[in-house]
Amino acid sequence: MQRFSLYQEEYHPSPLHFTWLEFKQNHIAVVGLYCLLFFVVITVFCPILAPFDPTLQSAGDLLIPPAWYSNGGISHLLGTDALGRDILSRVIYGCRMTFGISVILVILAMLIGVGLGAVAGMSEGFRSSFVNHVLDSIKAIPTLLIAIIIIAILGIGLVNSMWAIMLALIPQFVHQTREFVSREMKKEYVLAAKLDGANNIQIFFRSIIPNMGEALVVQATLALSISVLDISALGFLNLGAQSPMPELGTMLSEGIEVAYIAPWTIAIPGGTIFLMMISINLVGDGLRSALRNRLLH
Amino acid sequence: MSNVFVRYFNLMLITLVILSLFSFFLAYLFPGHPIENLTGVRLADISQLENSEFKYRSGESMLVQYWHYMSALFEGNWGKSFNSGLPLYDEITNVLPASIELSSYALFLSVLVGIPLGFLAAMKHHKFTDYSLLSVSVLGYSIPVFWLALLVILIFSLQLGWFPLSGRISLFYEIPKVTGFIMLDIFLSEIEDKQAAVNNVIRHSILPTLSIALVTTTLIIRITRRSVIETMNTEFIQAAFARGLSTRQVLFRHGIRNALMPIFPLLAMQFTTLLTNAMIVETIFSWPGIGNWLIQAIYHQDYPAIRAGMLAVSALVVIFTMSIDLTIRLMDPKRRRLKRAAI
Repeated sequence: MQRFSLYQEEYHPSPLHFTWLEFKQNHIAVVGLYCLLFFVVITVFCPILAPFDPTLQSAGDLLIPPAWYSNGGISHLLGTDALGRDILSRVIYGCRMTFGISVILVILAMLIGVGLGAVAGMSEGFRSSFVNHVLDSIKAIPTLLIAIIIIAILGIGLVNSMWAIMLALIPQFVHQTREFVSREMKKEYVLAAKLDGANNIQIFFRSIIPNMGEALVVQATLALSISVLDISALGFLNLGAQSPMPELGTMLSEGIEVAYIAPWTIAIPGGTIFLMMISINLVGDGLRSALRNRLLH
Repeated sequence: MSNVFVRYFNLMLITLVILSLFSFFLAYLFPGHPIENLTGVRLADISQLENSEFKYRSGESMLVQYWHYMSALFEGNWGKSFNSGLPLYDEITNVLPASIELSSYALFLSVLVGIPLGFLAAMKHHKFTDYSLLSVSVLGYSIPVFWLALLVILIFSLQLGWFPLSGRISLFYEIPKVTGFIMLDIFLSEIEDKQAAVNNVIRHSILPTLSIALVTTTLIIRITRRSVIETMNTEFIQAAFARGLSTRQVLFRHGIRNALMPIFPLLAMQFTTLLTNAMIVETIFSWPGIGNWLIQAIYHQDYPAIRAGMLAVSALVVIFTMSIDLTIRLMDPKRRRLKRAAI
């Protein structure tokens, strides 16, 4: 087949593919990505993976150490806690609670935040500056403090803490979207779309969203790490998930009472949160530097 | 110059008004009667007292109520705590300095460690030092601060016994409260062995400070590194190198000033992270600060305390960030032309 070849290469990678090529250069970030996928698998398939019921208490097996201790057993691979519950099963279900809920919260917060941000970014004059002022004043308050106030209004509990964290995450997305949209609205491709007769909604969905996608993903990983940290922090402070629930922060606060004689009861849930945070942050950092490098080329 | 002042003052005023409005409406959002939530006096007591003032004002419009609320705030009458029955103004002025003290130790430590390490990483960009500092910083800001605090207690207090477990100062010392900042209070007090008391305070504050400072330090390393890398790639730095200046001369004459300027507003933003982490760590170390106090207030459903505490913390954060931002704006000629002030 005759071909008019303008470039040396046979095929031209799309921007998305370019990002992946840059991302692959960073091996640590790829490890982080696999780690994150591992958590996703655990979150989805946890009823199959967990060997025991996470709330099953067996009075005969209190505080059995993990398998690598000399007096640990193989039936409870990571040992048991003060009520004889299997820690491995609790950690697996805890991943579903902490990680799964965080993912859902971030997606919801992103949808709402991007919608509000788009409206704020496209408006002008007094309304825009008023929204700016309100947003700036909310942004100055730490998310955990907002979450604590909302919990104080709604009452203690997992569902209430989910509402609280979602509401606390929204301002960041609004802020980012508003900045991005108001910057893009001044550019020429948007002007061209406007001249073609596109209204604001069409401009936002057809022209601006495709350019914003990757920046949004980076922001989402940031929000995901905040959300994981806040859910487990609220669980730890007994403001979020309550005691029998297998939530990682709640497990940690239960472990404090026996921390001295059974250090694994706080080491394992805490380590799981730590690993989760590392993988999220590695992927976020990798994506951010991949995007920056892609723009340099 | 005066223009900048007016604009910042304006923005700060609007933000504080919004915050105070929010705290006023919290009284209506919380469960229970708004008057109870605003004053902290149980309704049964009010009817016993036959306090006509409360009745009179609760019947008026929202705006008038807000006006009275604000005038009471400025008089220092913040209501009473459900839990202890003490005036909230006194309680908050008791606990807030402890938190500010802890946060400022941590901020000082993290700036002291973070900025030089950030410069080091940036100067060795794409070398081993850079990569190792970067990986350590990822580990550092991934650690959940409450887990870190627990591990630190387990290792340094329980296993090794180097540092005390909790509190701010040993009960052995009786320091009269003057400013609320324990170090100042020790100097102002008339106890016999001031040196021993100071040592005791330092031993108590090392573990909480370290566990808060770790996250902030790693964030500061990253912010500094990025800013220095960007500054070193600019053309005036290249020009300085072309004139034959050594790396040292370039860094000290041109690099540091230009790299540090954009960092300071970001550092001010870290104060909120610091305060949040301090609030969690306080509950673990039983540090008598605002975080510990607020969380206790939630456990006891002490709504007036939550309202007042939230207002105090957010006003503190806003005033702090704005004043840092204003200082930067006045110091940095490049930023003076930007149109709108923002936190």
